[in-house]
Amino acid sequence: MPKANTVLTKVISAAVFILLEIAALVMVSRSGSLQSAGVARLSHRFAALAWGGSERMRDYFALQQRNRELADEVFTLEQALNVYRERERHARADSIAAGYAGSRDFEFLPADIVKLSRNKQHNYLILNKGYEDGVQPQSGVITPRGVVGIVTVVERYYSYATAFQNTDFSVSARIGDEGAVGPLRWDGRSRRGALLSEIPLQARFAPGDTVRTSGFSAVFPPDIPLGVLGESRIVNGAMYEIEVELFEDYASVKYVTVAGNTGREEILALENLAEE
Amino acid sequence: MEKNRFEITFLLLVIAQILVCNYFHFSYYVTLSILPLLILCLPLRLPTVWSLLLAAAVGLAVDMLADGVIGLNAAALIPVAFVRKTVIGAVFGSGVFARDEDISIRKHGRPKFALAIVLVQALFLAVYIPLDGAWTRPLWFNVLRFTASLALGEAASLLLAGLLVPDDRKK
Repeated sequence: MPKANTVLTKVISAAVFILLEIAALVMVSRSGSLQSAGVARLSHRFAALAWGGSERMRDYFALQQRNRELADEVFTLEQALNVYRERERHARADSIAAGYAGSRDFEFLPADIVKLSRNKQHNYLILNKGYEDGVQPQSGVITPRGVVGIVTVVERYYSYATAFQNTDFSVSARIGDEGAVGPLRWDGRSRRGALLSEIPLQARFAPGDTVRTSGFSAVFPPDIPLGVLGESRIVNGAMYEIEVELFEDYASVKYVTVAGNTGREEILALENLAEE
Repeated sequence: MEKNRFEITFLLLVIAQILVCNYFHFSYYVTLSILPLLILCLPLRLPTVWSLLLAAAVGLAVDMLADGVIGLNAAALIPVAFVRKTVIGAVFGSGVFARDEDISIRKHGRPKFALAIVLVQALFLAVYIPLDGAWTRPLWFNVLRFTASLALGEAASLLLAGLLVPDDRKK
C-alpha cells in the first residue's frame, strides 16, 4: 500500500511538473517576441520529431505489405522484360542474317543455351528450341563472334548440339577474305584455343590475320569471324598447322542463333545423285 | 521559531535575488542566481508538489519584480524543484530520507554540499540560458555564459548556504 502511494505521488508530481513547466514556457513565449519565436521553433522541432517518429513506425509496420507489393511489381517487370528480351533476340538474329551476304539459303532462329558442358573433351550444349520452333538437325549454332556447335538431335522443345569444344568437331575456315581454307578444330586444352590445319605451304598469311567460316559446308554461313592467327608450324613437311585464338569465350555464351540451311536437302540429294 | 527563521531568511534571499537582477548587471556573460540554492535547501519533508508550486511562485515573483521575461526564472526553477530529492538522494545518500533530517553542511561536509549546488545550478542554467537567448546566440557564447554563471552562482550559493541549512543556523 505505501508503495502504491509512492508511485501515485510520483505520478502526481510528474504531472504537476509538466503542467507548471508548460505554463511557464507559455508565459515566456508571450512575454518576449524573441522568446516567442524561439519557443515556437522548439515546439515545431518537437512536433516534427514526434510526427517523424510515428511516420517511421507506421512505415516499419507497413513493410510486409510493401514487400508484397514490390514482389508483385518485380514479377510484372520480369514479364515485361522477357518480352523485350525476346524481341532483342529476334533483332539480333535478323542482324546476323543481314550481316552474311551469302547466307540467303539460311534461316536464323534465336535460342538460349540451357545447358553447357565445359570440362570434357566431348562437350555439348542443349538449346531451348526444338522442332516445334523449326530447328533441324545439322543446323549451325552461331554467335556474332564465332561458331558454337552443330545441332545433332532435335526434340519437340529442345535440341542437343555438339559443341565446338569437342574433339570430334571441325568447321571449314578461311584465312582472310580470299586466303587458304582448312578445317578448324578445338585444341583440346584451352577455352579459346583452336588449330587451323591442312594449310598448304604456299599459302600467304601472318599472325593476327582473321579467320572466318568459309561457307563450304552446308552447316554454317560464310564469313562468320572466328578468331585470329597465332604461331604456325609445318606438319609432316607438307602442311601448316596454325594456332588460332578464338573471339568467342565459350564459357560465357548464353544467347545463340541457330542457322538452318534451307537448301540442305537439295544439296544432299545432288551429292547422292553425283555419287551414283 | 526555527521554522519562522527559515521562512524569513528564504524571503530575504528572494528579495536579494530581485535586487541583484534589478541593480547588479555584471556582464552579458554572467547571470547570478541563488534561486537553485533556495529550492535545494527547502525542508525535506516538504512534498515535491509543494516544492514545484513554490518554485513556480518564486520564479514568477522574480520575473515580475525584476522586469525580466515573465516565466523565464520559473521555467528554469521548476525542473530544479522536480529533481531536488533525486539530487539530494544521489549526493547525500538515501539515509537522509530515512532519518527524516534536513541537509547540513556541518553533517554532510562542504564538498557534498558544493556538488549538490553545482548540479542544481547547472540544471537551472541549462534551461535559463538557451531560453533567455531564445536559441539565437552562438554555442560558444552560451557555453561561456554557462561556465561563468555556474562559477559565480556556486561561489555565492556556498557563501549563503550557511544562512539556510539548520545546523549552521543553530550556531
